[in-house]
Order: sequence, then C-alpha cells, then structure tokens
Amino acid sequence: MGKKKLKKKYLMKDLAHQRISILFKLADAEYQSNPHRSNRYVELARKIGMRYRISIPPDLRKRACRKCNSYLVPGNNCRVRIHKNYVLITCEKCERRMRYPVNSD
Amino acid sequence: MKISPSNLIFHEIIGLNVQIQDSSNKYNIGIDGRVVDETQNTVVIETDKGEKRIQKKGTKFVFQIHYNSIPKKVQVEGNLLHSQPENRIKNIMKIRMR
Repeated sequence: MGKKKLKKKYLMKDLAHQRISILFKLADAEYQSNPHRSNRYVELARKIGMRYRISIPPDLRKRACRKCNSYLVPGNNCRVRIHKNYVLITCEKCERRMRYPVNSD
Repeated sequence: MKISPSNLIFHEIIGLNVQIQDSSNKYNIGIDGRVVDETQNTVVIETDKGEKRIQKKGTKFVFQIHYNSIPKKVQVEGNLLHSQPENRIKNIMKIRMR
C-alpha cells in the first residue's frame, strides 16, 4: 500500500473514532427528552464501528444494547447486578443479558 | 483531526446548527435549526415549527461549526453529502490530497 493511501486509511479511522464519541455524547444529552433519538445515535455509532473495523471504547460499549441498539441507562431501562464475579447488565426492552468480569476495568 | 471546513463532509453533521440557503424546493429555503437525524437521501432538522425532513440533492446547506474555538459558517452542497451516514467517511479515499 502506498504512503498516501495508508495516510488516508489512518485518517478514516481517526474520523470514525471521533464520530463515535460525538454520537454517544449526543445520545446521553437527548435521552431525557427524546429516548428514540438516542437509540438511533447508538445504532449509527455501532454501524460506523463495524464499517471501519474499530472497537467502541469499553466504557461506551456497556451503554448500548448489542441486540436492540438501545441506549442503556442504569436504573431507567437496564438492570445491573453482580452474580458469581460477573457484572450482569440486562436490557429491559429485549431482555438481552451482557456479562463482564467484575475486575474488567 | 477535529471538525474543520475541509473535513466537514466526512464528519458527523448530527448536532450541528444548519440553515438552508438554496433549494430546488422553494418552500425549504430559509429553514434553520439543528440536525437531529440523517439518512442516505435526507436530513432531519429540528426547527421551532417541528421536525422537517429535507432532501440532500439540490440543496445548499450552511453549517455552523467551531473551528479553533471560533464560530464559522461553512457552505456545503447537498450532493456531496449524498450517501449513507456511515459510508460518508469512505469518500475520503476518492479525493486528492496534498
């Protein structure tokens, strides 16, 4: 791969990282007034991550449901429990459970 | 690379303030508000009179961005934005760079 093409590829991934963080910020801000919008922003952010093969930062990954793409807010639309050294996050819309080790952060 | 006039067409336009300068539909001219959603062909703008869905093709947008913490207005042809929001970054491979 030529130098120019490689440079563009890095630029692409950089832009994708920025857009993901912007979309999650917007989703957080819109959740109280328009929750359907924040779900749409999460969907877009996950699509960008898949298209440019970059991983969503771990702290943001836990705020999105992998099945129904809804923005998760503990105490509002998701349940957080600790079970056998795992953090269990249950989406209350689709009942999908996500498991993370307790000491993963 | 932060948002700038040169990379605006590859960047996130949701959340930016926008004004419509010119359009093939004369009733759309003058609409201003905040972009709340985007699809391949349209942009959804939240105005005082509700949400307006506006076609990208044949429309001139003026986006307000903060570039180096200075507010700036950037004029963009809607035809350049015509693609799915997640595919828009890919167009960077097509342009010539110095």
